[in-house]
Amino acid sequence: MTAAWKAAGLTYNRYLAVAARAIRRSLKEDKRIVAERRAVSELRFATWKNGKAGEPKDLAAANAAAMAESASS
Amino acid sequence: MLSRVARPALRAAVAAPRAAAGPSTAATYATLREIETRLKSIRNIEKITNTMKVVASTKLTRATRSMNDSRKYGEASNEVFKSAETTAAEAEEKKSLVIVCSSDKGLCGGIHSGLSRTIRRMSAEEPPFDLVIIGEKCKAQLSRTNAKGIQLNFAGIGKDIPTFADAQAIADQIVLLPTEYTDVKILYNKFINATSYEPTFIEAFSEEAISQSPNISAFEVEDEALANLREYSLANSLYWALAEGHACEQSARRNAMENASKNAGEMIGKYQILYNRTRQAVITGELVEIITGAIASEEM
Repeated sequence: MTAAWKAAGLTYNRYLAVAARAIRRSLKEDKRIVAERRAVSELRFATWKNGKAGEPKDLAAANAAAMAESASS
Repeated sequence: MLSRVARPALRAAVAAPRAAAGPSTAATYATLREIETRLKSIRNIEKITNTMKVVASTKLTRATRSMNDSRKYGEASNEVFKSAETTAAEAEEKKSLVIVCSSDKGLCGGIHSGLSRTIRRMSAEEPPFDLVIIGEKCKAQLSRTNAKGIQLNFAGIGKDIPTFADAQAIADQIVLLPTEYTDVKILYNKFINATSYEPTFIEAFSEEAISQSPNISAFEVEDEALANLREYSLANSLYWALAEGHACEQSARRNAMENASKNAGEMIGKYQILYNRTRQAVITGELVEIITGAIASEEM
C-alpha cells in the first residue's frame, strides 16, 4: 500500500521535515525557540542549462511547488 | 575605520612630491609621517584579523561538535550499505553526479580551491559528469572551467552551522533532477586535524545499486521503501558532508587569520624599528645642523 504522504506527492525527506516541524512546534516555549532556529533555511538555488545560470530561486518555495505538481499528476 | 586610515595616507601621498622638491630635511619628515600612517593602518588590519580569528575560534568549537555528531549520523546510515555490500551500479552508460560542498564565504585559505582543483583533475581524467555546487565560492571557480556540467547551484549556506533541514531541502532538489544518475558522489573537505583537511568523496547510491546489492535480502524490506531509503541516505550524507565542510572552513579561517595577524605583527615590528631609526636620524641631522651653525657663527 502506498502511504498517504507518497500519494500526496511528498518525498520522504519532505515527509520527515513536516513531521520534524510538528514536533518542534509542540515543544515548550524556551526549547521551541532554540529548536525552531534550526529549521530556518535561507537557501537559494539556480538551475543551469548549457553552462548558463538561471534565475536564483528560493529553495523551500520551489520544493513545495514541485511537490504540489507531482501530487496533481 | 578604513576610510579614516586611508585619508592620512592620501594626504601623505599628496605631500610627498612637494616635500621631495624642498630641502632634504623636509623629505625625511615626510617619510616619517608616511611610516607612521602605514604603521597605523597595519595595526588596524591586525586588529581586524585578530577579531576574525577569535570569532572563528568560537565558531569552530560549535562546528566541531556538530561535525562529530553528524559524522556518527552519516556513518550509522552508511552501515546499512556496508552490511548490504552495496557497490556502485555497473551500468553500461554511466551517468555520474558530483555534489561539491563548499560555502559562500571566503577569507579561509585554500579550502574552496582545493575542492575545485579536485573537480578539475577529475574532469581531465574521467568521462564527463554533472555537477551540483553548494556555495558561491566553488561556483565562481568552477563556472569558469566546468560550466557545461553544472546542473544546479545552491547559495546561502555556511552562515551558520548547516542544519538537517538544509540538507533535506538540497537532497529533495537533487532527487528532482530530470536525469537518472547511476552514481552520486559528494565531495567535501575531510577534517583530519585543526591544520589539515583533504577533499574526499562520500558515495551516495542510486536506487538500482541498492536493490542490486548482494546482501540486501537480509533486510527484508519492500521495494517501495528503497526509494525512500535512497532519498533519506542522500540527505544524511549531505548533512555529514556539510557539517564537516563547515568545521574545516572555520578551522581554516582561524588558521588563515592567525597567520595574517602574525604577519601583521612582524610588519609592525619592522616598521616600528624603521620609524625609530628614521626619527633618530632626523634628530641627529638637526643637531648636526644646529651645532655646525653655532660653530660657524662663533668663528665669525
